[in-house]
Amino acid sequence: MHKLHLFVFFLISVCMLSACTQVRSWERGYLAKKEMAWDPDSLEGALNDHIFFSKEASSGGNSTAGGGCGCN
Amino acid sequence: MKKYRSRSLIALSTSALALPGIALSDSPPVETTLAYKFSNYKEDDLSRSEAPFSDLERYDIDVHQFQLLSPVGRNMALQVYASHETLTGASPWFTSSDTNGNPIVSLSGASGISDKRSELSVGGRYYMQNGTIGANVGYSEEDDYKATYFGIDGVRNFNNDMTTVTIGFSFSSDDIFPTDALLFNRVISKDKRSASLAFSVSQVINQISTIQSTVSITELTGFLSDPYKLRDSRPENKTQVAWATSYRRFFDSANAALHINYRLYHDDFGIDSQTLEFAWHQNLNSSWQLVPSVRYYSQSAADFFINIDDFLNPLTNFQSSDYRLSAFGAFSGGLSVIQDFGEWSANFTAERYVSDEKYSTYAVAQPSTALTRYFRISLGIEFAF
Repeated sequence: MHKLHLFVFFLISVCMLSACTQVRSWERGYLAKKEMAWDPDSLEGALNDHIFFSKEASSGGNSTAGGGCGCN
Repeated sequence: MKKYRSRSLIALSTSALALPGIALSDSPPVETTLAYKFSNYKEDDLSRSEAPFSDLERYDIDVHQFQLLSPVGRNMALQVYASHETLTGASPWFTSSDTNGNPIVSLSGASGISDKRSELSVGGRYYMQNGTIGANVGYSEEDDYKATYFGIDGVRNFNNDMTTVTIGFSFSSDDIFPTDALLFNRVISKDKRSASLAFSVSQVINQISTIQSTVSITELTGFLSDPYKLRDSRPENKTQVAWATSYRRFFDSANAALHINYRLYHDDFGIDSQTLEFAWHQNLNSSWQLVPSVRYYSQSAADFFINIDDFLNPLTNFQSSDYRLSAFGAFSGGLSVIQDFGEWSANFTAERYVSDEKYSTYAVAQPSTALTRYFRISLGIEFAF
């Protein structure tokens, strides 16, 4: 089941990448909007990351781990 | 009296700061930004049936976060992050069974537990024509825990800036020295090290959508057990692997942005998990924005998880009744309101989180007691000049 999840995940990623079209810098107005950032509110993101890190066994996937907590 | 680490909320570690340039932006900031956020995190009390013989009140934490982001010269940026947290409440101490054989939990005495934590991180980023390099160092301190860490990363743009590759490394050296160690026969002093490597690829799909996929590997060594639990023994090495993909799409007709995040996770404690998040960033006019969000999380149990502590089991055998190592699922939902006043902006967020073994997509051989439910509110302001 786990391998199936991985395969579906990979397949979706490849399909989305295959649809890429060339976007010039002057055509990136929507992409440059703050609400399109990976993390529009870094304080909110940091807070949520840490709460979930403290209450669940999983972490990682967004960046390197950093440091500062022994709760998990 | 246990003073267990607040690590709950705690730290706002450095995850988000380690790779501050990982988003689309690859030019230095043109203005200085100051941000402050206050949050209150409150866990639901346990029921008397879950904890018949102990206090019921769990963690209540106030968090203050500060951030400064400023240009330095023409090609550099400085980022300073600080946080201060105060905590009261209690966490599970040990588990046993009731007369029917069901697990029950005893919390550490809530009445006398209070703690504080402070953290400071300083980072810099240098911007070049086709990428950036960044680094940060940080330190956090609590009554019984200290951590010193650093992170470095490099970002490179390819393919007419359609593709961005990021690689980052971080290392943390942590010291643990539990309070009341002699009184409760806890370890006196232990250390822990963690090293993490992350590789990320971001791709612009078209004028309105982009995708990012990140793989991270983290190796932890040293004391990974919980010194405040009555019976807790875990391996001294753990390898974590996470693979996350994020998707962003702007809907011009709705003037809104859709965020989707999905993560797969595995570690050699035997835990697998999946996380799926959706957020809808709805612009109402030029100054107001609403952001509803939902999240689903599910994990399997660690190989050595046990829901009723076995005190006859030799200490050389790994064993933990930590609910965070059990199989469970969790739903959370939140709503943020953001108002932009120009140089100033303000935001308010309310979030509810509910976890239960019934929500797990993985097999639940031993349901845990004391799974968390909490409510969180945050109020933030930001000033750019």
